[in-house]
Amino acid sequence: MPIPFPSDAWAEAVKDVINSDVEYAQVAHKWEGDTIFFIEPEGSLTNPTALYLDLWHGECREARELSDPNEKKAAFTLTAPLSVFVRILQGKLDPMQAMITRQLKVSGSMVYMMKNVPTVLKFVKTCAKVDSEFPTVN
Amino acid sequence: MNGYLGKLLTVNLTTGHIAEQPIAPAHLRDFVGGASLAARLLYDRLTPDLDPLGPDNPLLFMTGPLTGSSGPAVGRYTVCAKSPATGLWAESNCGGFVGPEIRFARYDGILFTGRAASPVYLWLKDGKAELRDASHLWGGDTYETQSRIKQETAGPLTRVACIGPAGERQIPFALILNDHGRVAGRTGMGAVMGSKNLKAVAVRGSAHLPIANLAFKELRSRANVELRNDNVTRVMRETGSAGAAEYFNLLGSMPVRYYSRSGFDEVSQVSGAGMAETILTGVSTCHACVIACGRKVIIPDGPYQRGESKGPEYETIVGFGPNLEISDLAAITHLGQLCDSAGVDTISMSNIIGLAFMMYDSGVITTADTGGVELRWGDARTAESLIQQTIHRQHLGEWLAKGARECARHFGVEEMVVQVNGLEAAYHDPRGVTGMGLVYATSPRGACHNQSDYFLVEIGGSMAEIGVEMVDRLASAGKAESVARHQWWRTLNNSLVMCVFANVPPVTAFNLLNAATGFDYTFDEFFRCGERGWALKRALNNRLGLTAENDKLPKAFLTPYAEGGAAGNVPDMKVMLSKYYAVQGWDQATGRPTPAALARLGLHEVAADLWGDNIRNQVSEEPSGATQ
Repeated sequence: MPIPFPSDAWAEAVKDVINSDVEYAQVAHKWEGDTIFFIEPEGSLTNPTALYLDLWHGECREARELSDPNEKKAAFTLTAPLSVFVRILQGKLDPMQAMITRQLKVSGSMVYMMKNVPTVLKFVKTCAKVDSEFPTVN
Repeated sequence: MNGYLGKLLTVNLTTGHIAEQPIAPAHLRDFVGGASLAARLLYDRLTPDLDPLGPDNPLLFMTGPLTGSSGPAVGRYTVCAKSPATGLWAESNCGGFVGPEIRFARYDGILFTGRAASPVYLWLKDGKAELRDASHLWGGDTYETQSRIKQETAGPLTRVACIGPAGERQIPFALILNDHGRVAGRTGMGAVMGSKNLKAVAVRGSAHLPIANLAFKELRSRANVELRNDNVTRVMRETGSAGAAEYFNLLGSMPVRYYSRSGFDEVSQVSGAGMAETILTGVSTCHACVIACGRKVIIPDGPYQRGESKGPEYETIVGFGPNLEISDLAAITHLGQLCDSAGVDTISMSNIIGLAFMMYDSGVITTADTGGVELRWGDARTAESLIQQTIHRQHLGEWLAKGARECARHFGVEEMVVQVNGLEAAYHDPRGVTGMGLVYATSPRGACHNQSDYFLVEIGGSMAEIGVEMVDRLASAGKAESVARHQWWRTLNNSLVMCVFANVPPVTAFNLLNAATGFDYTFDEFFRCGERGWALKRALNNRLGLTAENDKLPKAFLTPYAEGGAAGNVPDMKVMLSKYYAVQGWDQATGRPTPAALARLGLHEVAADLWGDNIRNQVSEEPSGATQ
């Protein structure tokens, strides 16, 4: 059954998918860095939403929707309007393209990010495995 | 005249006569500046029988209408002539502070002709110019030369573009260097300076630039803020241009062992991220640039110990790293610095060494050719030895110093060499990013990545506003028009002159140009200036002998890798070239822009020059696929 994005349940589902993905565990075995998706309101999403994922050595240790977007600080943040996240998760927008064309704002250490590009790409692909229900964008 | 100073400084090195030459306003509007304007200004002088190293080859240092304006990454100039490396059109642009200083000294460019009887340098200060004796500087390296000329002129604020011993010896891939290791590296402009006995150009100026519209300042500020916060800028600032090395390695677009292997296990030891975690001590910038991609490094100990100096960028890292299977970043830094100091282009030099290693492996050459040096992959001392042999034209260096194409011809290994039209390839392998195959084959200066860094589009850098869409990086179909349009955009970059590392949207550049010049281009007119410049350079090369036969890739790029991110893939040149010709309006048989295509761009004189009496027959034959 599709899980609504963005939501606490969706974050939990990502955690489950990551923790059962052997390939992700191998690729990301050195990764240390929690991440927040900042999803800007658009369409039927009326409030800013923040999803927190604690990624550590190929595992997801914690995943949830933050009650307050400023509740936590993370090593990396990915910020974009809802439609951009939806297109990335649907495989319609390449994550690297989203970054280069300024549709997705990335903060955190670029040194670490560039050194671990395969992990980052694998992470996005793994998130996209969740059977998601996306809100209406327009 | 807004945006421009409207004139060139002309220097006849044979007679010592120095004068000024106005630039026709129509040329400024049609060609914008930089390399395109230079191509128009030099068109009549560049002939098939012109010796690139002879006194008649004109050498033009050219700026653009935004140079020195403190706009986003526009502190650049370009150097143009006929290339001793390719025999074709040459342009090589360079950052640092020299370009803005030429404009502050009240000129848009400096045109050198003739040959001085003995070594000289030009000293230009606020509109006053003189040739000074450079005999005492001859033989000096590029950093030492800058220091000494600064002492002899206006001190640290003098900006000096100079050559090293390689330029003096007219090695066809000699560079021009200024400031903290910023180079006009490709196509051998340093050799042309050397052939003219011109050691350096030293400039100091204080003029304010004429800007048409007061809104320019606001536009400039906004553009710089956007650029500073851009994701790509942050990658460039934190990791330099080699920040994507790991990613390119994953894609199979970063060549290893002279284009024979894909995938370098030690990539993280030599990448921009690797540098940031080890030897990086700071960053450096060009004039008013918010990116700061330049690297400062210290090698604290070991055989390559050195104090703070320039760190290598992507091309140098791959050329002296994976290309030669060297994984020691200190050694790569050392080899890059050796090239910069002596004044040779690191892309060409590292390619040529890679070729030498391959020839040695194949038994084509032996220690009898190399002065007793055994050529071993991964051995930086071997590479250093070959650089020294090249600079001094000793042993194997006698042939290496002729460039990869001539060296391969001499040893009968034309199928081994990786070059296009005499220019050694940059390190973006078309097997992993197929659009680069088309870029290399059609670039006006050979296998060059600065006429279009289309690989960035292939990993996501699409630009919808100019019709440059992202197409699967391994596909060949559907790329021709996108590549052409990206080349037109980069032609505009090279006209403004704006750094290709700056992720500036075309509409931002368009607004800045209009505000600076007051030309009030429409966006289509602006974009067509890029297409016009591209067509002009093609026509110029056709005039110099280039035909459709030249638009081809070396064998290596058409031989698939067995492994890695590009395994089994090669660019389908037949598919891409045919459509590409149609988009550009190039004649399929001759490779020339058709008279109709040239006429559409307002290049009537060029059409008449290129087609002569055949023009009437050709005007009605423009390929139907040509775009407006």
